[in-house]
Amino acid sequence: MERPAPVAVPLGQAEVFQALQRLHMTVFSQSVSPCGKFLAAGNNYGQIAIFSLSAALSSEAKEESKKPVVTFQAHDGPVYSMVSTDRHLLSAGDGEVKAWLWAEILKKGCKEMWRRQPPYRTSLEVPEINALLLVPKENSLILAGGDCQLHTMDLETGTFTRALRGHTDYIHCLALRERSPEVLSGGEDGAVRLWDLRTAKEAQTIEVYKHEECSRPHNGRWIGCLATDSDWMVCGGGPALTLWHLRSSTPTTIFPIRAPQKHVTFYQDLVLTAAGNSCRVDVFTNLGYRAFSLSF
Amino acid sequence: MSSESSKKRKPKVIRSDGAPAEGKRNRSDTEQEGKYYSEEAEVDLRDPGRDYELYKYTCQELQRLMAEIQDLKSRGGKDVAIEIEERRIQSCVHFMTLKKLNRLAHIRLKKGRDQTHEAKQKVDAYHLQLQNLLYEVMHLQKEITKCLEFKSKHEEIDLVSLEEFYKEAPPDISKAEVTMGDPHQQTLARLDWELEQRKRLAEKYRECLSNKEKILKEIEVKKEYLSSLQPRLNSIMQASLPVQEYLFMPFDQAHKQYETARHLPPPLYVLFVQATAYGQACDKTLSVAIEGSVDEAKALFKPPDDSQDDESDSDAEEEQTTKRRRPTLGVQLDDKRKEMLKRHPLSVMVDLKCKDESVLHLTFYYLMNLNILTVKAKVTTATELITPISAGDLLSPDSVLSCLYPGDHGKKTPNPANQYQFDKVGILTLRDYVLDLGHPYLWVQKLGGLHFPKETSLPSHSSLGAHHMETTMKLLKTRVQSRLALHKQFASLEHGIVPVTSDCQYLFPAKVVSRLVKWVTVAHEDYMELHFTKDIVEAGLAGDTNLYYMALIERGTAKLQAAVVLNPGYSSIPPIFQLCLNWKGEKTNSNDDNIRAMESEVNVCYKELCGPRPGHQLLTNQLQRLCVLLDVYLETESHDDSVEGPKEFPQEKMCLRLFRGPSRMKPFKYNHPQGFFSHR
Repeated sequence: MERPAPVAVPLGQAEVFQALQRLHMTVFSQSVSPCGKFLAAGNNYGQIAIFSLSAALSSEAKEESKKPVVTFQAHDGPVYSMVSTDRHLLSAGDGEVKAWLWAEILKKGCKEMWRRQPPYRTSLEVPEINALLLVPKENSLILAGGDCQLHTMDLETGTFTRALRGHTDYIHCLALRERSPEVLSGGEDGAVRLWDLRTAKEAQTIEVYKHEECSRPHNGRWIGCLATDSDWMVCGGGPALTLWHLRSSTPTTIFPIRAPQKHVTFYQDLVLTAAGNSCRVDVFTNLGYRAFSLSF
Repeated sequence: MSSESSKKRKPKVIRSDGAPAEGKRNRSDTEQEGKYYSEEAEVDLRDPGRDYELYKYTCQELQRLMAEIQDLKSRGGKDVAIEIEERRIQSCVHFMTLKKLNRLAHIRLKKGRDQTHEAKQKVDAYHLQLQNLLYEVMHLQKEITKCLEFKSKHEEIDLVSLEEFYKEAPPDISKAEVTMGDPHQQTLARLDWELEQRKRLAEKYRECLSNKEKILKEIEVKKEYLSSLQPRLNSIMQASLPVQEYLFMPFDQAHKQYETARHLPPPLYVLFVQATAYGQACDKTLSVAIEGSVDEAKALFKPPDDSQDDESDSDAEEEQTTKRRRPTLGVQLDDKRKEMLKRHPLSVMVDLKCKDESVLHLTFYYLMNLNILTVKAKVTTATELITPISAGDLLSPDSVLSCLYPGDHGKKTPNPANQYQFDKVGILTLRDYVLDLGHPYLWVQKLGGLHFPKETSLPSHSSLGAHHMETTMKLLKTRVQSRLALHKQFASLEHGIVPVTSDCQYLFPAKVVSRLVKWVTVAHEDYMELHFTKDIVEAGLAGDTNLYYMALIERGTAKLQAAVVLNPGYSSIPPIFQLCLNWKGEKTNSNDDNIRAMESEVNVCYKELCGPRPGHQLLTNQLQRLCVLLDVYLETESHDDSVEGPKEFPQEKMCLRLFRGPSRMKPFKYNHPQGFFSHR
């Protein structure tokens, strides 16, 4: 994809700063609105931008359609994960979860509906929340992050019900296996753990780095992203992005992406992934083919 | 015979009445006394009618006698002679009668004539009298009319009106009782009064004249006094010059400057006025002077007839030379170019003194044909500067003022009309001549009040008159000071020491192991060729007005190359670093997130590294931070299980967590004063 040629604009202090910010920006999270027309993306400066997907994907898409409709400062720290309920956008970053109303989010000066912080053990440093997961059957939200635990929060009451421990290092990502209500979590320790929500216990552990086909020791063993389709699971990070068959716990397809993945989502038959280190969100219409990118 | 006698007789008749002599010639004397036959008296007695009858009868008789004689003569005969004789005597008698009658007739005629003559004479005399009288009458009439028309001079005088007269005139003149009734007297009285008044006024007039003379004389005296004052004042002024200098009030000097300033071209004059005003009002350290030759400036405005003569001469000369030998086109073009780029002989020099005794000397020139202002800059410091190799361009006159305002690189002429002028003489761009002529920055044009339409529709930076001068001066001072600060820092950097001032020490941990090994300048083209700078180039941040450097930081086997883009607007615009780490492979921001994070720490989070105002420590702080980041990076690198051997860099830094977030960042943020590293 071509970038437009640099314009010789005389750069004042503000323009230089903006350009530098953009060069060093990382988009950590994204979420699609319940109506499917908008995409929310969160970056490392704590900002959330709302893009109009319908405009960007339409046949008359221009450069301006790829710019955000609205951008606002959501968190102090980076927005590591976002998820959408049918009315709310939930975003999490440095230690707390905030909820935004989708209906109001396009207006300027939008304020969060509520914010919650799970009970942490350490108080020296506020651990980040790396992953959010909605469990629609229970109407609850699962948070996981820097304190190596999975917390469950009831969305109606806002209380924290469970804390699942087992990871030895901080958790990167979560995925929900719908049929048997199980949660998969991948962490820095290199293991993908499956948790049974009813029993609140660890069901299965896959240590990805131990498999030779996908392990990349020079990258480390950490699992950066996880997505599951009940029978199948995609995970990647230090090891290569691999498609696993969960029953047999065997890797089946390895995706040819060099850089470690940050985020991956199954969406119908698309795989949306933020690959590489840039301010862009890549969209794959077929597995392995990058169609276009949305940029901040 | 009868006529002769009547002629002779006439004088006699006139002379004396009644003294004619009948039939006797010249015998009047003798016959006067005695008896004389007066035929005149006879005339009175006879009747003219009867005389006429007699005449007719006589004539008939004569005719009859003649006829008879004739007859007798024709018949002839002897007795005829007697008959003829008889008849002849009869006819003689008749002849005598006739003669008498003739005489009588003559006398009658004469008498009649005389009478008529007399009467005529009388009539003439009367006529003459009448005419005389008429003439006199006419004359008298004229005189009368003249008299009647006579206007006395007194009527031409505008006399005061009657009421006024009676009011004002003193009673001995107005004599009311007399004059009221008698208009003649009244007029006389009025005239008298008029005369009185006129006499009085004439008196006054003479007095006033003499007064005026006196006053004029006084004025003359005073004028002389004043004119003698002028040279004395001058001498006082001269004498007071030392006093002025002593008291730092150089009025004389300022006055002289204003005199010279009158010959400045308008843009330079505006600049001069603004600079002087600013200097007096806001900044006492600013000094303004005018340099150049005033005579040459005056010569520019000589009347055109001189130059026309010269032109015609030179034209004739030119024609001659072209006939003999064509001067080369190059020489002609060169001359034309020189003419086009001619400078006005006067220039304005502004000296800006900064706090540390360094001075920025700015000389402003005006290019007359191009109608733009240019400036040449020079920086002098209190102490002699030893220029480090990498600092060559920092204070060079060519680039020290580049991009004072964003985009104002001063290499292109701001006046769009110049392009057409350049085309005529084959100048491509002003860039080739800026070293000689000075840079035509946009802020200089604005200081001189010259406004040109911009080629691209960019939002213009607001600059209103006085504000602009102030902003520009402040920017200039900051620029000089930042450049001098960099100068000093470069000197230290070239020796491998990152000079961190004591008030910035808190930004860094006490122990920093990585060292700066190399600091060199890099050419713009070389920077563009580097493989790890593509992002910056594509973002349009690496233009040709920037300065480029390469720093090398080492620790053990790890070598960190940092390519630095130094914007002319340092330190409000931060330097931009791009890193390439050579340690266990080559890591740049495209393949290692942590390198990207390190770049972000110095590029994006630069505000905390600015240090105390005015922030000239930014570059050195950034370099120091890079050293710290390299330390952290190397020490927190996770040990690769597949490779044997101990870690090259044992962890010495205190970190709470080694990795955080989905991007697994290293803890690059240093916390003061606790001294540990954490994540942003």
